[in-house]
Amino acid sequence: MKRSHQFMTLASLLVAASLVLAACQPATPPPPTFSGTATITFVQEPDNLNPLYTTMFFSGITRDFWLKALWSFDDNNQPIPEIAAEIPSAANGGLSADGKTLTVKLRDDVTWSDGQPLTADDFVFTYEMIVSDKNVVQTRYPYEDYVASVEAKDPHTLVVHFKEPFAAWLTNIFSGSPSAGQGVLPKHILQPVFEKEGTLDNAAWNRAPTVGLGPFVFTEWESGSHIIFTANPKWIRPPKLEQIFVRIVPDDAAQEAAILAGDTDIGVFLSSDQIEKLEAGGTVDVMAVSSGYDEGWFLNVNPETTHPAMLDVNVRKAIALATDRFTIVKDLLVEEVNPVNTTFWDGTAPYGDPSLKPYPYDPEQAKQLLDAAGWTDSDGDGVRDKMIDGQKVDLKLRYITNDRELRKNVQAVVQQQWALVGIGAELVNYSSDVYWNGYNDDGPQAQGLYEVAEYSSVGSFPDPEISSNWLCDQISSADNPDGANWQGYCNPQLDELLKKQATTLDRDVRIQLYYQIQKIMYDEVIYIGIWKDPDLWSVNKRLQGAKLSGATPFWNGHEWAVSP
Amino acid sequence: MVNYIVRRLVQAIPQLLIISIILFALMQAFGDPVATLGARTPPKPADKERLRRMLGLDQPVPVQYLVWLAGNDWLKIDSDGDGVGDTPGTRRGVLRGDWGTSLVTRRPVTEVIADRLPNTLLLTGVAEIIIIVTSLLVGVYSAIRQYSLFDNLITTTSFVGYSMPVFWLALMLMYLFAVNFKRWGLPYLPTVGMFDPATGKTPAEVIKHMILPVATLAIISIAGYSRYVRSTMLEVLHQDYIRTARAKGLREWAVIMRHALKNASLPFVTLIGLDLPFLLAGAVVTERIFAWPGMGRLFIDHTQRSDFPVLMGILMLISAAVVIFQLITDVTYSFLDPRIRLE
Repeated sequence: MKRSHQFMTLASLLVAASLVLAACQPATPPPPTFSGTATITFVQEPDNLNPLYTTMFFSGITRDFWLKALWSFDDNNQPIPEIAAEIPSAANGGLSADGKTLTVKLRDDVTWSDGQPLTADDFVFTYEMIVSDKNVVQTRYPYEDYVASVEAKDPHTLVVHFKEPFAAWLTNIFSGSPSAGQGVLPKHILQPVFEKEGTLDNAAWNRAPTVGLGPFVFTEWESGSHIIFTANPKWIRPPKLEQIFVRIVPDDAAQEAAILAGDTDIGVFLSSDQIEKLEAGGTVDVMAVSSGYDEGWFLNVNPETTHPAMLDVNVRKAIALATDRFTIVKDLLVEEVNPVNTTFWDGTAPYGDPSLKPYPYDPEQAKQLLDAAGWTDSDGDGVRDKMIDGQKVDLKLRYITNDRELRKNVQAVVQQQWALVGIGAELVNYSSDVYWNGYNDDGPQAQGLYEVAEYSSVGSFPDPEISSNWLCDQISSADNPDGANWQGYCNPQLDELLKKQATTLDRDVRIQLYYQIQKIMYDEVIYIGIWKDPDLWSVNKRLQGAKLSGATPFWNGHEWAVSP
Repeated sequence: MVNYIVRRLVQAIPQLLIISIILFALMQAFGDPVATLGARTPPKPADKERLRRMLGLDQPVPVQYLVWLAGNDWLKIDSDGDGVGDTPGTRRGVLRGDWGTSLVTRRPVTEVIADRLPNTLLLTGVAEIIIIVTSLLVGVYSAIRQYSLFDNLITTTSFVGYSMPVFWLALMLMYLFAVNFKRWGLPYLPTVGMFDPATGKTPAEVIKHMILPVATLAIISIAGYSRYVRSTMLEVLHQDYIRTARAKGLREWAVIMRHALKNASLPFVTLIGLDLPFLLAGAVVTERIFAWPGMGRLFIDHTQRSDFPVLMGILMLISAAVVIFQLITDVTYSFLDPRIRLE
């Protein structure tokens, strides 16, 4: 009954709509050289487009269209020169022998979209703006801690002096990476603003960067609705498309409908369970692209805060053996897309060591290890215990994560699996704005209020650098509240390797160092991988040429084309 | 009458001031604005500490409220982190018309809100007009024809409509009219947004994109409102003065419209008066699903980042609107019912 009434109303609205549609066909023909619009849906709206004022992924990835940097990363995470004439190396003189000087030759044919030439001065200006006390920038990493100075040797030679050799330069120095502080600012536009207002915080360019560097140029941003980039004929690699239309669609289910209806060409942050449905229509491909994030367990081994059992490597190994991660990914995710991962760097090719394999599911061996470690169920309550200093201590571990639904489900399954071998689990969930807080802000990880913490993390992808998470002098405590080592792990041998890789500029040598680092963390069971968590993108088949990359997804936007 | 309005407006000032204090205190529970900065990995502790200091978030809450209210040009901000204030503040405070800058977009709050308000008013305004007109028509008609087939039909469907969750209805409409209609080769509607990029933002495009969200809002509300109109109409239709009016030989139309509906509309006006300020707040769920760039989504997006200057701006706007629309409602009463006099 209701249906017929509803149908009548909507049918009449539809008739009206189709009349309107018929009367209003697009009239203007596209310009001769560029044609077509690619529509992309973002589930979050960028906050700011100036790279200094945003750390949002969805803002950073737009720069592939409108603000190219020294280099991008292709779909194999290999650096591709953009403004740089070539990727600096020891062989071409770009890297000094002591590793403390980076010299980048810039292409001499690059102009800003308004026709002004791009020079090394633009980079010097960008550096000055990042470290200036007048600008409330999101981050000063790595310029504040690692860079001594940035100079323009000549208009097309940029020289960066480091305080010590800085291995992660390729990702973190004026690169195309979506991280904060990358990219380059147009000095001729922004210096007058800085001189007049004393800060760049409120510059109009931050929201409407009509002057850029890329195959497309910013044209319009309507809050909450869309951002438009149009073809930039002046760019060194002119695009084929006329327009990129980024539409903000916050609801996952609505994004799915838009993908299915063909109202968007590219969608992102899809979940594994959507793949089958999206590909069923035959018009959409789903691509799994790693941006380094993998789900894993970080084990607290800080004697000050953790459960005494966690200090025994065999107990930690038993935890890994007692957890059937293979069934978890089969039941809660899509096994082909999200296989069990082993090391922290599995998603950061080529730094993950493929020879390491996940610990198997072997509850019997887990029991033996726990027995041998002295943890037995003496009181028959199902949870193992041990007498320590005359006190009976239960083997009950705090297993914490944020309040994401999938993680809660994993917690519940793991609790049951652990129970089979006599490990008790206390499940705790924190809201995301508390979970990653620092020591002084009552962050549960920073304060060590856990034995197992689950989340997905990454280094400075595609660079593997994240050493401070495991360095001895980074252990967080009341005396060192900013310490990034929330696991309290301290191993001089690992320390040495982490410090060595951070200053090793030879990539092959560095990869070998990472293999050694992973071997230690694997044997010591400091990190237990749960599943690989690549970004899932949908690409409509009408869009051709999109080779999405994990670091700079739209790096080859100039090659994209759409079939009418 | 003028005296009354002026008095009410003057009374509103301390009222809004108290509201602002309460809201600002509640705002502290929204979380830490520099906790995530919207990134996939949390910011470095040193950056968090620097940002807090530069944005004035390290100050005690009462000081932050004072800055919000009266500005910080009387304070010095410690921008280099040596513990000594060095840079004079530039904010002038709400009392001097400066609503501050968003911690997320770094734009003035008034601009952030002004960008979204027209979109929301377009959506909720059109929906509200459709809701009011339709529920009056349906409500009055089913009251006159009480227990007729039409009345029973409406009674049943309004319960169905009223009990449907908004998000479910929105997605069902989207799948039926946008996804499946397209698949079946029928004339279809767009899924999300305000217009199709290939056509551009023409009025026709916007209307086309409004159909589903407006229908979602209307279906849910008409159900409840028409029931309301029906029951108050029924009550009035059984009053003695209606019988008198009919006995005087007035036409049925005049009886219904001038005598019955005018008296029956008082409670309905109250209801609408309470509703109107929230048209400014937007329709959170509907805007989210149809990706409509309105105030509801603005509020949610900025809540997720604990962007209290923008949240305060939105909430104060709504508070002020509640005060004003209550006043308008009271004035309307005196027009609808001469027994009510405003002194």
